[in-house]
Amino acid sequence: MRLRCGEQLFEVQVREAKGGLEALVNGQALSLSLEPVRDGVCVARHAGGLATFHFARDGATVHLFWEGVSYRLVEAREGARKATRHDAGALEAPMPGRVSAVRVAVGQRVRKGDELLVVEAMKMENALRAPRDGVVRAVHVSAGEMVAPGRALVEIDAAGAGA
Amino acid sequence: MTPLFRKLLVANRGEIAVRVFRTCRELGIGTVAVYSEADRAARHVREADQAVAIGPAGALRSYLSIEALLRAARETGAEAIHPGYGFLSQSGDFADAVRDAGLVFVGPPGDVHRLMGDKQAARRRMAAAGVPVLPGYDGDDQQDARLRAEAERVGWPVLLKPSRGGGGKGMRVVRSGAQLDSALAASRREAKAAFGSETLLLERFVERSRHVEVQVVADAHGTVLHLGERECSIQRRHQKVVEETPSPALDPERRLGLCEAGVKAARAAGYRSAGTVEFLMAPDSRFYFLEMNTRLQVEHPVTEAVTGLDLVRLQLEVAAGRPLTLRQNEVESRGHAIECRLYAEDPDNDDLPSPGRVLHLSEPEGPGIRVDSGLSAGSEVTVHYDPLLSKIVTWGADRPEATARMQEALRRTVVLGVVTNLARLRAIVEHPAFAAGELHTGFIEEHLQQLSPQTCPPPEAIAALVAAIGLGHNARGRRKVPDPWASLGPWRLGGGT
Repeated sequence: MRLRCGEQLFEVQVREAKGGLEALVNGQALSLSLEPVRDGVCVARHAGGLATFHFARDGATVHLFWEGVSYRLVEAREGARKATRHDAGALEAPMPGRVSAVRVAVGQRVRKGDELLVVEAMKMENALRAPRDGVVRAVHVSAGEMVAPGRALVEIDAAGAGA
Repeated sequence: MTPLFRKLLVANRGEIAVRVFRTCRELGIGTVAVYSEADRAARHVREADQAVAIGPAGALRSYLSIEALLRAARETGAEAIHPGYGFLSQSGDFADAVRDAGLVFVGPPGDVHRLMGDKQAARRRMAAAGVPVLPGYDGDDQQDARLRAEAERVGWPVLLKPSRGGGGKGMRVVRSGAQLDSALAASRREAKAAFGSETLLLERFVERSRHVEVQVVADAHGTVLHLGERECSIQRRHQKVVEETPSPALDPERRLGLCEAGVKAARAAGYRSAGTVEFLMAPDSRFYFLEMNTRLQVEHPVTEAVTGLDLVRLQLEVAAGRPLTLRQNEVESRGHAIECRLYAEDPDNDDLPSPGRVLHLSEPEGPGIRVDSGLSAGSEVTVHYDPLLSKIVTWGADRPEATARMQEALRRTVVLGVVTNLARLRAIVEHPAFAAGELHTGFIEEHLQQLSPQTCPPPEAIAALVAAIGLGHNARGRRKVPDPWASLGPWRLGGGT
């Protein structure tokens, strides 16, 4: 199984072995054993000690709570490598909401952190900012429009590339 | 003893509805929940004796619909309505409508809401009563030129506040004249959208100030008591994140002065029920009236933790017309309490709200820990309502003990499926400046602006996770895709289980 955590990819293999489980994580061998506690909760015994952890799955997304920290991992499946669908200059709607203002136009030069547009959700105005320096290549929404998470809003060419 | 009321309807949702029901059950009062279509399966609905659907997800036609709420009360035979906080809790029209319907509104009368809900009028009333206010402008002339002139007179930076409203919406710090026009436009737009009025108030913005507030309770027989103060300096976007009592910044003399000013303000407002008088405390320890919240406060549990009082119970007794039997010298505060607000928002991404479905939930428990939560596994967090999920409150014999308990409680709080501010809450209560009690309203910007680098789980965690899923100890969750584990190769697990 391959799990993606941000930029990092984990190649994981697990098998049953005497007294527990053996795992290979990116080539590193580990022994552990597992006891289920309840739905979504297990205790793991490993070389470092004992850890109660929580987990949940939502499609390809796997949520993990380990030693006080929550992680969100995505299963990387063959044929699903669409990581380049949106490049680093694309701004996507991070949540559902209503676009209350669009502050940029195509061709405009922006700096990383500039306010591109404002999305209203949960009664708050949320400024969405440029992920990098560059030139606005496309604006896909207009004020008043409702947007769903993941919807492409604005695309920015790297500085210089489009000018 | 006969109950204060036979049946009470809570015109609210989430954790506060659940919390009010608790006291009602204890007092033998029947409970009615109301819910919008989005909240059909919400926890507060399950925790009441009866539940009534009041409308669509949008709050305007459900939780903000006076007509729908009164109809629900009539249908169920509720005698009293508790408004919680937010929604209609500070609406004079709602308080009047409830009274006119022959029911009891658990809160102050309509005209008190109207007076204190108008920040201009409230500021003028308090100044007249001798409660200190900040240098500022509370006039009716709202033209840009006049506001600009007043801002120049008061001196930069200034804070713009909608005269109607609260919760930080529409508030803007303006640091120079160059920023004023765009700030005025944004504040007016937000104020108009949220509160239906564009009127703004302007006050000097005090850097590194603290937010302290006095809990008061007043009956209909002339008794006004204070239940001590709370410090709520740790905020983001003018909304409170961490609150505590007592304030680490006050000595007994200043505490008394502050609390007496709170009582004076409540008297000047003609207050009745539980309420909160908010003050700004400058670095020189002088304090100034900010506003009065004419309702139960989100952070009321910290006061309950140190005084042993049940504020909802006091509200219900006052609403039933009973005199307060408590005397000021009987109000005792013991130990220290801290509250952390768990929000569905992403601290690493401009605090953007983060709706979604709670796939898995585990709340902390133990000595000195209280959790007021409206969540359950499977709860849907929608964009329609406030992103507050739950409140974690710890009590300790002193501040270090309450802090240590909070650190531990947060380490054991698990919410999977929606992004929360949990990591930030931990960073706050583990920060040396928090331990030192050096709090101010810019605390988060000053100490926690540096985003923690995104980390990945250690290898043993990854291995355990993959094993747990593979062994079928699966947590609830949507399974829109076929189980990919069916196609695992030679390493396939679970043959023997």
